[in-house]
Amino acid sequence: MIDWLNNFIDSALLIDAGRRIILSLILLAIMLGLSRWQHTDLEGSFIYGFIRGLVQIVLLGFILVIIFSLQSLLLLYIILSLMIVFAAASTRRTHKYPKVFEIELAGIAVASYTIMTIVIVLGIIPVKGEYVIPLGGMVISNSMALSLIAMERIYSDLEHKKGMVEAAIALGATPRKAMNSIIRDAIRASLLPSTNRMAILGIVSIPGLMSGMIIGGMNPIIAAIYQIIIFLMIISSGFIADIIVSYYIIKIVFDPNGALKPDYSIE
Amino acid sequence: MEEKSLFILKNIKVKIKNRIILDNISINLKKNNITGVIGPSGSGKSTLLKVLSFLLTPYSGEITYKGIALKDYNPQKYRKTVSYVQQRPYLFPKTVRDNLLYGPKLWGIKYNEEELYALLDLVNLDPVFLDREVINLSEGEKQRINIARSLANKPEVLLLDEPTSALDLLSTEIIENLILKLKKQDLKIIVVTHNLEQTKRISDEVLVLNAGRILDHISIDEFLHSRSDEEIRLYFKKQSSNGGNQND
Repeated sequence: MIDWLNNFIDSALLIDAGRRIILSLILLAIMLGLSRWQHTDLEGSFIYGFIRGLVQIVLLGFILVIIFSLQSLLLLYIILSLMIVFAAASTRRTHKYPKVFEIELAGIAVASYTIMTIVIVLGIIPVKGEYVIPLGGMVISNSMALSLIAMERIYSDLEHKKGMVEAAIALGATPRKAMNSIIRDAIRASLLPSTNRMAILGIVSIPGLMSGMIIGGMNPIIAAIYQIIIFLMIISSGFIADIIVSYYIIKIVFDPNGALKPDYSIE
Repeated sequence: MEEKSLFILKNIKVKIKNRIILDNISINLKKNNITGVIGPSGSGKSTLLKVLSFLLTPYSGEITYKGIALKDYNPQKYRKTVSYVQQRPYLFPKTVRDNLLYGPKLWGIKYNEEELYALLDLVNLDPVFLDREVINLSEGEKQRINIARSLANKPEVLLLDEPTSALDLLSTEIIENLILKLKKQDLKIIVVTHNLEQTKRISDEVLVLNAGRILDHISIDEFLHSRSDEEIRLYFKKQSSNGGNQND
């Protein structure tokens, strides 16, 4: 692996990449010129952002070189697990719902492990870091994003339709039954944008994964197939995460006797 | 004496966000009569109904229904039997028929068209209402469907939370007549109300609450004779300094 890294550093590729970076500094110069001309006072931010971003992304590149060379399934799952924990933890900063970390961790973990295990076991993607990690990353980040949409929608609908939910409970409905329409609407709201994006694939958009693979030299047909696979992975994992999240929310807002807790709160 | 009791509440305490809403309440409620629950806003009347309907679990204390502790009932089946009707009619955004059949579908109770018409007739509504969208109903009609929806579950007890508070005189009269009619059908009815005249018209007994405690559980006549006019006005007063709330 280290040999491979050394070869990579010595390779013509790196020299070529350096040349491109230096040439692209012209764009930075244009940005600085425009900022000075328009008195936006952004020159410092541009330079700081460029240098910091360059260092971070190059460091990430080196880490990815090591990760992509991994072929041990156990190690790959350990890395995926860390990504899942980081994704769930990041929701705590942006969303103040009760037990958001636990809910997201459960949703993302069940969804991602299930979908990644299916695609690996069935041989849909190779057991190689360069496939498992980036595709796993997409599955994890989308499971997080989609289930957060569902969570937001469930809580906001519950606020508006609390009276109706209580009416259903008073008639003898279980919490799941009383929340049926709210959960259905939330899952639809979270999945429909991705489903629509999948439906316009190739006509209106060439998404990031496919573009990246083509730029990286992959045959466009193969890249297209991976693109549709990733859409299926994203939507199916999002669906699973939505279901886990919605069940977990029911546990939080209803008491063990199936009545809405009077003191559940969204701060 | 306990044999005739439908509900027995022992030392019921309800605490929400560290605020005591019901404070050590103990009562026996008998079958086949109408109990009016009265008291100023914020005294715990609606909370008491929610506790009786198992929509709120008390912080401490014990409740039995027909001699069996509430915790030993299946909560869903219990709520079908002891039916809570909310103050505001939160109908499902569909037709009247869908609303009336929501409970029966949960419980496998079959209704034919005639039985549905009879249900509508009970709340003084014409059969043409059956396939109307609820969005097109007046407040009075919605409240009547709200009650009919609970009755469709064939409950033994009806818990009504200020059923006429937002209604005109005609709708109020229809609902009061319905309550009296249901009493004759052996239904136990507990009504939270702010209306003195209504309490006199429909209640056999009153449960007087103040600041989460029971002041009296006596017949309406005894209550009216034992209290000054000023006190009576206080118990039926709608607004209080805390403005009342849904945990009332």
